[in-house]
Amino acid sequence: MNESLKALVEALVFVSQEPVTLADLQAVAEGVPAEEIQAVLDELVREGEAEGRGIHVIRAGGGWLFSTKPAHDREVRRLLQIERKHRLSSAGLETLAAIAYRQPVTQSEISAIRGVDSTGALKTLLEKKLIKIVGRKKAPGNPLVYRTSDEFLLYLGLDSLDGLPSEAEIAKILEEEKAVEA
Amino acid sequence: MPESSDEILASEGAEAAAPAAEAPPDGYQVRLDVFEGPLDLLLFLIRKKKIDIHDIPIAAITRDYLGYLERKTEINLDREAEFVFIAALLIYIKSQMLLPRETDLAESDDPRRVLVDRLLEYEKVKAACSLLREREDVQILQWKRDFLPPLPGESDLEPLELSSFDLAESFFRMMKRREADDTRIIRGREVPVEAKMKELVTLLEERHQIDFLEYFESSPSLEEALVSFFCLLELIKSRVAIAVQDALFQTIRVWLRKDPHRTAAHE
Repeated sequence: MNESLKALVEALVFVSQEPVTLADLQAVAEGVPAEEIQAVLDELVREGEAEGRGIHVIRAGGGWLFSTKPAHDREVRRLLQIERKHRLSSAGLETLAAIAYRQPVTQSEISAIRGVDSTGALKTLLEKKLIKIVGRKKAPGNPLVYRTSDEFLLYLGLDSLDGLPSEAEIAKILEEEKAVEA
Repeated sequence: MPESSDEILASEGAEAAAPAAEAPPDGYQVRLDVFEGPLDLLLFLIRKKKIDIHDIPIAAITRDYLGYLERKTEINLDREAEFVFIAALLIYIKSQMLLPRETDLAESDDPRRVLVDRLLEYEKVKAACSLLREREDVQILQWKRDFLPPLPGESDLEPLELSSFDLAESFFRMMKRREADDTRIIRGREVPVEAKMKELVTLLEERHQIDFLEYFESSPSLEEALVSFFCLLELIKSRVAIAVQDALFQTIRVWLRKDPHRTAAHE
């Protein structure tokens, strides 16, 4: 393992407020092959998982970034004097899930999936920047078209949309739910 | 509407193993507002009776469904409409199934098909939600550096990147703070943009950085406050000043660009 490269990458990830990408790192660490940087990142992620460390490098939002561990949530908030973060309402989460899986999607399409008017939930998600408007659909009324944002990936700790629960995982959950009821 | 549906359902008598609508099926009350919507309620009923979603006994499920609607005490018209819409769909499907046909229906022509497809899709979204909720619960406890306010790097910062959505929100928020002003009275005093701009630039030179919300609020009149907002936009546009709002609804910090190429017009 290239220890000095590891130290450099760690420093770069640390100073980045947004997920730092492999391309970002490559541009700075001139001449270092991508595989080497990748190996160093993997090592940093692995080291962070160890007990006795308060921060870890995670892969989310298309890059790598530092975050604290869940166990220290209360103390972190106490130090910074901030409120606990609120979970999304079930209407909000449902709307977000519908968008995540069906994007690009319009308000009426989302409402049809949920069987419920979703305008209010959309507004909340827009304010939280978890979704974005990407244009208008060439359909009667030219409705706005929504997609999930990069913040959405970070919010759920996903690296890309490919990380969303797959059809198979969803089918498994449904099976389990049915098994519990039977 | 429930009356007419009872007639349709009654015509099917034999299938009436389902509990009557007035008595809660198995004694426990379910509040309608715990359901996200009509599809959620339908799925609940289908599961409770261990019904195969691909072969729904429409009459029985409609009876249960209407039973829940009738027990609802408070009425929220928006939500009610959605529940009633699905009730109407259920009754329509039943009526389609009762129509005599010359040939047996192919599976793809089953009148229940449209509802089943929606239920299956909704069921998937709900299952995905439970998985996403698990992720959210873990992520929400982890603090990343992005929640920290950006360091005031002054001239290194690029001019404000905001969507028109953010800008409009901020504007209305500022207007709200001045709500006390009586806008019906037209005062004669004019506030020239040039004068205000000069005042703003002078202030910026003196104080180095100003809190725009504070400045806006301290304006003696609504006109002045409005003009100062337009001045700010003009100053940003002509690259004289930099404005940064860390987050929606927070104050706007403004400072002068150190750039020597300041537009002569505003010197």
